[in-house]
Amino acid sequence: MTAVSDRAILPRIQRYRHSLWLLARRDLRVRYSTSALGYFWSILDPLVMAGIYLFVFTQVFNRNVGETPYIVFLLTALLPWMWFNGTISDCTRVYLVEAKLIRSTKIPRTIWVASLVLSKGIEFIASIPVLALFAIFTGATLHWEAVYFVVAIIMQAILTVGIGLVVAPLVVFFRDLNRAVKLVLRFLFYASPIIYGVTDLPAELHVLAAFNPLSGILSLYRSAFFPDQLDAFTVLVAAIMSVVILAIGVLVFRRTERAVLKEI
Amino acid sequence: MATDSSPVIEVENLGIRFRRNRKSRRNFKDLFAGRNRRTLSGEFWALRGASFTVGAGEAIGVVGRNGQGKSTLLKLVAEVILPDEGSVSVHGGVAPLIEITGGFVPELTVRDNVYLTAGLHGMKRTEVDARFDEIIDFAEIRDFLDTPYKHLSSGMKVRIAFSVISRLEEPIMLVDEVLAVGDKGFREKCYRRIEELLAGGRTLFFVSHNENDLRRFCTRGLYLNKGELVLDASIDEVLKRYNADYAEV
Repeated sequence: MTAVSDRAILPRIQRYRHSLWLLARRDLRVRYSTSALGYFWSILDPLVMAGIYLFVFTQVFNRNVGETPYIVFLLTALLPWMWFNGTISDCTRVYLVEAKLIRSTKIPRTIWVASLVLSKGIEFIASIPVLALFAIFTGATLHWEAVYFVVAIIMQAILTVGIGLVVAPLVVFFRDLNRAVKLVLRFLFYASPIIYGVTDLPAELHVLAAFNPLSGILSLYRSAFFPDQLDAFTVLVAAIMSVVILAIGVLVFRRTERAVLKEI
Repeated sequence: MATDSSPVIEVENLGIRFRRNRKSRRNFKDLFAGRNRRTLSGEFWALRGASFTVGAGEAIGVVGRNGQGKSTLLKLVAEVILPDEGSVSVHGGVAPLIEITGGFVPELTVRDNVYLTAGLHGMKRTEVDARFDEIIDFAEIRDFLDTPYKHLSSGMKVRIAFSVISRLEEPIMLVDEVLAVGDKGFREKCYRRIEELLAGGRTLFFVSHNENDLRRFCTRGLYLNKGELVLDASIDEVLKRYNADYAEV
């Protein structure tokens, strides 16, 4: 027992993956072990939001954006938005929350962002049955474009990791940045095709809107029920933007890692 | 205890600097400056120009007063902070007994926490399964397996944490005064565990103020003063020099 074993050290990638799962599982466990309603909460938030918009845009205003059934139209973008929004908000405090663990283990520091993206992503996937239920009840037709869901998930994961890698280290140095991030997220909610569709924007804004990578990603999700929402140009720009943002994220992360570790 | 000739830790001209106070100006340009050799205003070198190598199976004690760079050196070897100058290369896995309770989650049970922490330190699930009983028995908390970690007493928290980390089958152990906590009986148990690991050929890197502990475990000493490695010799010589330097203080 006391002899130093010759156990081969787990290859780096395998160890990273292993730790990633452990951390994502931990986050989900903590969230669901401390609340009686557990899973229900992660669904309730988008449902209430969807209910509000449904009321405002079908009962108060005369809706001339989006498609019918509007509730399905809303949820196809709101659920992925919750994933994005939740991950980025949590990224603003991840290094503070995990400081003790970061100071005592040498797992690659990108894992803190990646595990957030993963745990929130699992919650997102777990919320898809709710969307399916609404689709069935409202009689929305599912098209073959539903396969793009997978593409959209991959693109969104890349984008979110990229933004997280920029936001998480910078907040360590500029604490008030988390307020700025909140504001930007709120702006982004309305600047992205969530309560409206990509096709509802005036023609002159079309190109500009494409540079918000969420436009392309959300329209990919939506094409499962509303194939008209799919726009090749927007999706292509979103794909390129996501990869570019990931590259920027990796760069910022690398340059700031040394300073972040000293600071926490 | 065979001392192998191949080094497991190689430290070369190591240096790291910190900001003197949190208020000193920090702008985007500084942030992205990366490694550079100039000392920015408001910064000081916590450690500079340290070079040494550690062979497999050696037991090294780091000696110095508070704030002379001991813990910083240990963290650099653990690779939880990165140097501004020079390099550290560690060949082989490390069991860091630094902030040992850091990975434990208050809401989760003791059982979940053992799997989580051991996993994050690189143990596979099957390996944890195999050692689970040993870990629990060492910490003497079998009755609390399904208790949330936050409900344990502070002594139990340290015991289970030490028990997990000291069961990592890594060739290098880093110990940073964790043993100052816990009751006398358990401390002695921890010490025996460390001795056992040392006898098994592990390499030890030990930071402590306690002369008896240093003499008990270590054969070689590193004396740090004002961020410089002043003396690298046998532990007795190092302690003699340290005591001589501070005899009149």
